[in-house]
Amino acid sequence: MTFVTPKSKHGDASDGNLGGRLSRIDGPEKITGRATYAIEHQIEGLVYAVTVQSTIAAGTVKSVDSKAAEASPGVLLVLTPDNITHLKSATTWAGTPGPEGPFLALPKTVRFNGQHVVAVVAETLEQATAAAALIKVSYEETEHVYGLEDPKAGEGVPIDPMTKSWGDAETAFAEAPVRIEQEYKTPREYNVAIEPHGIIAQWEGDKLTLWEPSQWVDGMARSYAEWFGIPFENVRMISPYIGGGFGSKALSLPHGAVAAIAARMLGKPVKLAVTRPQTFTAYGGRPATRQTLALGATKEGKLLSIIQHGVNETSKLGMAVEPLGSVTAIMYAVPNFSSRQNVIPLNTVTPGALRAPGENPSAFGIESAIDELAYEIGMDPLEIRLLNYAEEDPHAKIPWSTRQLREAFAEGAKAFGWSKRTPAPRSMRDGNQLIGWGVAAGTYPVRRTPGEALVRILADGTAEVASSSIDMGQGTYTILAQTAAEVLGIPVDRIRVKLGDSALPRAPVAGGSQLANLMTGAVHKAALAAREELIGLALNHPNSPFLDLQLNTLTIADGTISTPRGERADISIADFMQHIGQEKIETLRDTLPEEKKNTVDRYNNFTTMMAMKSPTEGGYSLHSWCAHFVEVRVDEDFGTVRVSRMVSALDSGRLYNPKLAESQWRGGIIMGIGQALLEEGIIDPRNARVINNNLGDYLVATNADIPDLQVISVGIPDHHASVLGGKAVGELPIVGVAPAIANAVFHATGKRIRDLPITLDKIL
Amino acid sequence: MTGTINLKLDINGRSRELAVEPRVTLLDALREHLDLTGTKKGCDQGQCGACTVHVDGKRVLACLTLAAQVEGRAITTIEGLADGDGGLHPVQSAFLEHDAFQCGYCTPGQIMSAVACIREGHTKSDNEIREYMSGNLCRCGAYSHIVAAVREAAEAAS
Amino acid sequence: MKNFSYLRAHSADEARKAAALAGNMVLAGGTTLLDLAKCGIAEPDTVVDITHLAGLDGIEVDETQASIGALARMSAVADHPAIQKAFPAVAESLALAASAQIRNMATIGGNLLQRTRCSYFRDAAVFPACNKRHPGSGCSALGGVTRNHAVLGTSDACIAGYPGDLAVALVAFDAIVHLGERQVAVDDFFQLPGNTPDREHAFERGEIITAVTIPASAAARRSTYIKVRDRQSYEFAAASAAVGLELEADGTTVRDIRIALGGVATKPWRARTVEAALIGKVLEPELVRKASLLVMEGAIDHGANHYKIDLAPRVITRAVLKMGGLA
Repeated sequence: MTFVTPKSKHGDASDGNLGGRLSRIDGPEKITGRATYAIEHQIEGLVYAVTVQSTIAAGTVKSVDSKAAEASPGVLLVLTPDNITHLKSATTWAGTPGPEGPFLALPKTVRFNGQHVVAVVAETLEQATAAAALIKVSYEETEHVYGLEDPKAGEGVPIDPMTKSWGDAETAFAEAPVRIEQEYKTPREYNVAIEPHGIIAQWEGDKLTLWEPSQWVDGMARSYAEWFGIPFENVRMISPYIGGGFGSKALSLPHGAVAAIAARMLGKPVKLAVTRPQTFTAYGGRPATRQTLALGATKEGKLLSIIQHGVNETSKLGMAVEPLGSVTAIMYAVPNFSSRQNVIPLNTVTPGALRAPGENPSAFGIESAIDELAYEIGMDPLEIRLLNYAEEDPHAKIPWSTRQLREAFAEGAKAFGWSKRTPAPRSMRDGNQLIGWGVAAGTYPVRRTPGEALVRILADGTAEVASSSIDMGQGTYTILAQTAAEVLGIPVDRIRVKLGDSALPRAPVAGGSQLANLMTGAVHKAALAAREELIGLALNHPNSPFLDLQLNTLTIADGTISTPRGERADISIADFMQHIGQEKIETLRDTLPEEKKNTVDRYNNFTTMMAMKSPTEGGYSLHSWCAHFVEVRVDEDFGTVRVSRMVSALDSGRLYNPKLAESQWRGGIIMGIGQALLEEGIIDPRNARVINNNLGDYLVATNADIPDLQVISVGIPDHHASVLGGKAVGELPIVGVAPAIANAVFHATGKRIRDLPITLDKIL
Repeated sequence: MTGTINLKLDINGRSRELAVEPRVTLLDALREHLDLTGTKKGCDQGQCGACTVHVDGKRVLACLTLAAQVEGRAITTIEGLADGDGGLHPVQSAFLEHDAFQCGYCTPGQIMSAVACIREGHTKSDNEIREYMSGNLCRCGAYSHIVAAVREAAEAAS
Repeated sequence: MKNFSYLRAHSADEARKAAALAGNMVLAGGTTLLDLAKCGIAEPDTVVDITHLAGLDGIEVDETQASIGALARMSAVADHPAIQKAFPAVAESLALAASAQIRNMATIGGNLLQRTRCSYFRDAAVFPACNKRHPGSGCSALGGVTRNHAVLGTSDACIAGYPGDLAVALVAFDAIVHLGERQVAVDDFFQLPGNTPDREHAFERGEIITAVTIPASAAARRSTYIKVRDRQSYEFAAASAAVGLELEADGTTVRDIRIALGGVATKPWRARTVEAALIGKVLEPELVRKASLLVMEGAIDHGANHYKIDLAPRVITRAVLKMGGLA
């Protein structure tokens, strides 16, 4: 059970309402160490599981020698491909049937280096870890494909739904007076949440309780239910705090199944914490991508044609598509366009979602290419973007709901001082440091799924909000409290928010930057209903002090019920509830359309992504937008690149809490700086092993890598996008950071880096 | 359990007894044996700073410290940072005010590191704060806000 | 991690005796030992904890030398005003190493015994071949990904790079490692891999490092440590240089110069050929640039680490010019 109650307000009194800069209400728990993350749950009789991962990329587990491990102190169980329980195949996140045959948490067939193949359970973590090191696995190896550069990788599989085209792109390109054609690459990248994945699984009869960090407790609970063939209601997933996810904690994974199997076999609760090196293959991050972009334009810089061909890697097990044409197709007005994408299966863990999957590498391509075009014709990189500004969605051919990108360019340029830029590469320096300025735009779609929430006004005048949605740092606890406070007229410090438990009213995935909009919408609806009920009681209850006034309405503010013109003395909600002898007012509301409220559709709405609406459904094209302005300093002798200054202007529509939204924006920008300059999964071609599978070698940005970051909100409320006017926040800010930096590096050095990350050896 | 040793650790001003194997790290002793889960495990190999605690007032990594090794030393964890009366340490307040965290998982380590950073006097400029706080990775990207919080707390302390 | 016994040493003698037993390993800061134990590379039967020994953490600086006790923490040395004054390169090399927390843990003696960050050395389960771990088993780095591997001092048996910073400064200034009574020049303390990459230090079982002394010199007083890496902090060097410079009274002619490199070699690398090319010369950028290139004579790259051959001389050049007031 996790209730979070605001402890204090900061700033002015309006902070508690929507749009206010309330400090996060789960903050006091987090800064004192009291916030209990999933696998920190204390439980009697806990035992520990540790997995052993494969050391080859492809082949079969021939045999497992577990004698030494079994004889090792404290060992209770060794699970191998031979004795692991075969589970049922579970429905995919998309709502499609899972792969045929049983689901094998420890498969005999090895498809990537670092696949879980054995698990050891012991009384202590140290015993399990030591025993796992004694396991000897013999393999029969087969040929593997290590990466996109592998000559055996081939052309892959075309993904037809990714094909987009209009006009005649080939002809227009061939006839264009100015042509640019280049290849852009991004490496395998990892989510690297600082809290590694892990789980505690406990059975009571055929009821399964899971403490697991989760971006989607309902969706993940469904997988466990289907794996074990038990009713969905029998699975309870608890995830009160999540130590970062960035897309990696939305789906149930093999290690979770292993823990649940072991817990059932042993009749004891089992904790399995994935080690940091194991996280690099226990789930997939962003796949490596490669795209060619051909831009045809007039000599004045007007785009005539864009041709794109992209590929991304996937595993031998599943088709993960990183849509490389997502930004390409909507950023600029272009009369002729063609984009297609292939996916190349190779020996890696199935790639997953990492902050702005698709949009992120897509923007690296198009936002680098448009910059190259600007230099080619001698135009300012900002000007060429404005010249080709898309006044409507060029792909869907429908209007934008709101697109404050022009404003983002203008505000960002002003704050950055862009007009003082000297156009030529290598034209700005400070001693050994070459200075470069770059710009790039970004976008992220508004995704929409219905939600559900419970609002409860209690006899003491406080209120509760409950939902199975989660807070991994985006601020869900806080903005839902603000939503309820505003609607109910109850001060925010008297609102309690309960999240992250599948026993609560349902929520879809905290992914695709949709959660804030859909959950504020659901809480708003439930709170309105609760308020209405409260006012109804005040007007109509026989014991109400307002009964004889014959009023149509009353006002509620600051926890107090008042008559419109002071006809009667104010009464606090608590006093009123006692007066009428009411224990609580409880309203459960969802935002499902009428025809989708039946049991099956409800279930699928919350446990799959079937019901998620595309950003163009409903006649408007819904997207968030941003513009990043970057200054880099490149050491001329060493090739090191440091971002020295950055201004980003962002359109996320209305901000429910600007303080927290700015934090997410800066966070995305910082992740983007790391992506641009540091992050790269390094694969040994000989065995397809990720050899930098730790935080000393897979480099994410440190504090010292980050300069002052100015963020400017240029959004306006967008009620096509969401009930309360917000658009996407969390994934938007990373989109466009890497190309803005690459563009600045070109301006500084005259060197165009088309493959991330921009490390010093590429500049030297 | 075989080969355990009895330890008496001074944690947050309290003496805590436990029987663990010699190989048990201070981090696992705190998290798995003493119900002090505020100290976080992010990498378990000295590369992220999430497990930062104070030993005799100095910031160190609990994942690369044996529990046995710190018997006789004063250990402070995030749970013991503030006075016992439920108040907040000034650095904690500054983190809250500046929204210097999101998911909160690296936060106890950041705060323990920040308290030490201020005590060491490594807060003479924003760049010095950045450098001396670089042993604590934050994947949510709260760095700018962490610098602001440390700067404010340092100014208030001086 | 394999279980072990824990022995807290109460005197240097007790520590020495315990350390002499096969299977026993000394715990000073723990940052290397516990890390490698978790990797399954260090497998002590007994951990001999010397962290509570008194009197081994002193830092004394006089006009002839600095004497640093083996148990002095990296942070204590880095922050020591007299070290900062008389040996700036030493202080800087420490301040730029690892993180503040690790510098509070790791000791000077332990730092000298820090081991390579070669990914293949550290991943024993996946790459069984490693001549450092198992002499004669082969080298997995050869034919692998070598971006962080050495280009100087390599052999057919091993190309693992020496990762540290402090020792680079120590090598530049002819520091002495004290093993109780026995003393070894730091440059000799670190061994080239040759055919015995498992033997990294001139160090016998049962010996413990008790102190490091650094002779004072004008060059040490006018010195710097420059560390180049992709990440601004908390990363090992792609290349680094410790440089100390003494000029003649004319203010431009080199009387004495000390140069050592990190991040590019199998051990902290003294650049004597570069020093020789500069001594007695008038300091001038083009001369320094040319002289710096001499350090890479005989360098062998393995593809991905080729950039180090270009980078390292530039780091030397920058550091020399900075000390000469020319950059």
